[in-house]
Amino acid sequence: MPLDTSTYALSLLRLDGRRWNELRRIHAQISTQAAADGSAYLEMGNTKVICTVSGPSEGRRGQGQGGEGGKARIEVEVNLAGFAGVERKKRARGDRRIAELQHTLTQAYTSTLLTHLYPHSTILITLHILSLDGSLLAATLNAATLALIDAGIPMSNYLVACTAGSTSFEESDNADPLLDLNGQEEQELPFVTVGILGDGDKVSVLVMESRVQMSRLETMLVVAVDGCKRVREILDGVVREHGRNMVEGAVG
Amino acid sequence: MAPAATSQVLLSPAELSFLHSSLLLQPPVRPDGRAPNQFRPLVAETDILPGANGSARICFPDGTEAIVGIKAEVEKSQWRANLSEDGAHLGTGGGDVEMEEDGGKPQEEASSHGNGEMSWIELSIEIPGFRDDDPLPIFLAAMLSEGLLAGEELKDRLWINRRFHWKLYIDILLLSPPLSYPLPLLSLTTHLALLSSRIPKLKSEQDEDPLFDDDWEASLYLYPKLPTGKRIDRPPITLLVMAVGSNIIFDPSKEELAVAEAVLAVSVRESQRRENDTSGRRLNLLSIRSVDSPSRLTPSGVPNTMNTATGGSAPVSSQDAVAQRESIDQKGVWNPPRGGVKRALITRIIKLVLEPNGVAQEVMDGLNGVEV
Amino acid sequence: MPREAEPSLNEREFIHQALREQTRIDGRALDAFRELRLQFGDERGVVDVRLGKTRVIARISAEVVAPYPDRKFDGIFTITTEFSPMASPAFEVGRYTSDEIILSRILEKAIRRSSAIDTESLCIIAGLKCFFIRADVHIIDHDGGLVDASCIAVMTALQHFRRPDVSVEGENVTIYSLREREPVPLSMLHHPLCITFSYYDSGEIVLVDANRLEEQTREGEVIIAMNMHGEVCQISKFGGTPVDALVLLNCTNVALKKVQTITKFIQRQLEEDMRKRDVGGLMAELSAENER
Repeated sequence: MPLDTSTYALSLLRLDGRRWNELRRIHAQISTQAAADGSAYLEMGNTKVICTVSGPSEGRRGQGQGGEGGKARIEVEVNLAGFAGVERKKRARGDRRIAELQHTLTQAYTSTLLTHLYPHSTILITLHILSLDGSLLAATLNAATLALIDAGIPMSNYLVACTAGSTSFEESDNADPLLDLNGQEEQELPFVTVGILGDGDKVSVLVMESRVQMSRLETMLVVAVDGCKRVREILDGVVREHGRNMVEGAVG
Repeated sequence: MAPAATSQVLLSPAELSFLHSSLLLQPPVRPDGRAPNQFRPLVAETDILPGANGSARICFPDGTEAIVGIKAEVEKSQWRANLSEDGAHLGTGGGDVEMEEDGGKPQEEASSHGNGEMSWIELSIEIPGFRDDDPLPIFLAAMLSEGLLAGEELKDRLWINRRFHWKLYIDILLLSPPLSYPLPLLSLTTHLALLSSRIPKLKSEQDEDPLFDDDWEASLYLYPKLPTGKRIDRPPITLLVMAVGSNIIFDPSKEELAVAEAVLAVSVRESQRRENDTSGRRLNLLSIRSVDSPSRLTPSGVPNTMNTATGGSAPVSSQDAVAQRESIDQKGVWNPPRGGVKRALITRIIKLVLEPNGVAQEVMDGLNGVEV
Repeated sequence: MPREAEPSLNEREFIHQALREQTRIDGRALDAFRELRLQFGDERGVVDVRLGKTRVIARISAEVVAPYPDRKFDGIFTITTEFSPMASPAFEVGRYTSDEIILSRILEKAIRRSSAIDTESLCIIAGLKCFFIRADVHIIDHDGGLVDASCIAVMTALQHFRRPDVSVEGENVTIYSLREREPVPLSMLHHPLCITFSYYDSGEIVLVDANRLEEQTREGEVIIAMNMHGEVCQISKFGGTPVDALVLLNCTNVALKKVQTITKFIQRQLEEDMRKRDVGGLMAELSAENER
């Protein structure tokens, strides 16, 4: 492991100065794009995502009209900007990692949105990742949730996501869980991304890509679920604030 | 090259005809009430991305929005035999620079000149709903990089030493579907991003492996600022100009483009000036390209003489229809424009763009206000 | 494009109803795998896996190439998956379905990224020569459980495979043919396997190794990759109906048991195959490998 994460044990402070249970700064805005039906801008630390939603509308020609079985079809396009990472990298279209991300978002929102209200139509979610510093899946899920709320597409509840990690791969006693990992920590430590629907413990999305002892998983899950609840409060605040502004704007 | 997305303006022949005739008036009446050389108001900000060397965002009121991020990376130069007059004897290895230590300084100054290469700048455009190899992004990228590469200055500034150079990646992202022809938007955003671009200050000397100052505060602007806050030169901008009759209209909206008789993309650049030069700025024309106007694909109206419902006689064949249309010049019936542009009109457009306090100057000054 | 036939409403209802009564349509217990059969090819590294009606063939091959410039000390290992129209009418050549992307990504994460193969051992001369191990997965018949079956196929094939032995003297590399020296097995760090759980009624009913019909009617899936030491290598729950976190944790416990049984089964089969190949007991004498 090239990165020195060992200082954590001494100071109990992470590389960016956070404690184990601190989220990075989350900043979100709704209705940022005038041309889209719904849009949102979300920052989780240095991860910055713009999401636009268009639809429900008639599907693009040649792709079959809308979804099957009288439900709306959800399409997701993720675009990782060339300047998003530390090094400039142009990703080819059809990159498997991006394809998997798109698949995850599609699946997650197909079961969260009330798609049966829009038969034969398509909802297109476009995500632009402007800056990437960890928590990619979590940030895209949160941004898409806000944009879908802005678009006024009915959904059963907020789908919010958050990552959690652990300071050790091995089954040792002195490993601590960590909340909301940044890019550097993600490269070095095992972590899970958890997406929660509503404010209960219902896990909608769970993705883990690193090797870790089974016993670590439980604490990581608990921490991530707790983080999701905090993210949800922040996002809820953003939505309510936006609603208040809209009402006041309409009256005044 | 008709950009597919902009031709989808769904206007009836009657609406097109109305638009066309109001734009023909002296002075033209534009749908949004602008003067012919007035631009749409725009929202712009720079330095929005901490991870990029330079970045900018511009938002038009119709909702089209673009983000440009510029990244610079150090790259090893390809060794070239005719690097400079004295390059040959030390070209074999970069390490033996010491031998010309005393005379080094002035030479270094001189050698960055004319050493820039086209391949050091890479420009890519991402438009939602388009693939990388679709004509629209490629065409736009070609037009934008053409302007950037036209001058030597930018390329030469990427030169670090004989062995290394900066590679500049310009990534242009259109966030919204291309509602109007996105060229001016992308060009202005790129302009701002380039203005905000900074590269770290070089600490190493001559042909050593480059070492840079960690302090971002000490970094240098890619387009250097004079102590007065003015720039020695600025990146080029590309403006979209259209003509209806003898009227010249700047920054057309998509509805206006649908009735354009000619559409031109004009790239201009401010010429480089010396530090003590106080005479007014001079603008140079870099390139001019005609853009196939989407108006040619619009459906034409049916005049009363060709409509059986109004007592006319319907044409028997399609040739007959063309022949009949040719002979009618009825007001209020939309006929898609055909043919090219008069040379005099192009001259007038260029003049309008380039004249002192002309449109290009105004745009540049406007963008000046956004600066960091 | 050809579409797979959707199960009818009646069929769906029937399957759901039966599951609520703890019965699966093929009579298995909820946590039972279908019959697993392994068949080894004549060549080393070829394995034909049958999981019920699902059939997957994996083939491992090795060649000597230059390593990636940014990973000078590592050999190269790739997994490619191929869906042929033979397996299901819904597969088309050249068109990537999300099934295919998911399968290749999961195999990538479960086997390659968890470093099941010690890629450093594949390096011959740093920066110049290394082994390129390639696993080709062919889906021959599709009746659900593709991820599980493919993972078993790749892992078994990797353990079955023998790469040519090499010796390095300074800059000179000698690669010995099969006749000259007994080829050597790949150095494996651990043996991950994937277990797919399908759930119904928001996680009330959880199935292991669903067949195609059950896959089509389920509410969601969780794919867990583990090794027999209880290390989780990858978890993927791509959306689907939300389930309780406890259910997911429970799945990992079940997965561990399944992985342990399957790993043992694979081990037994490999040993049996070894005995068959080792006619006359010459293998031990011919081996160039040193006892460590």
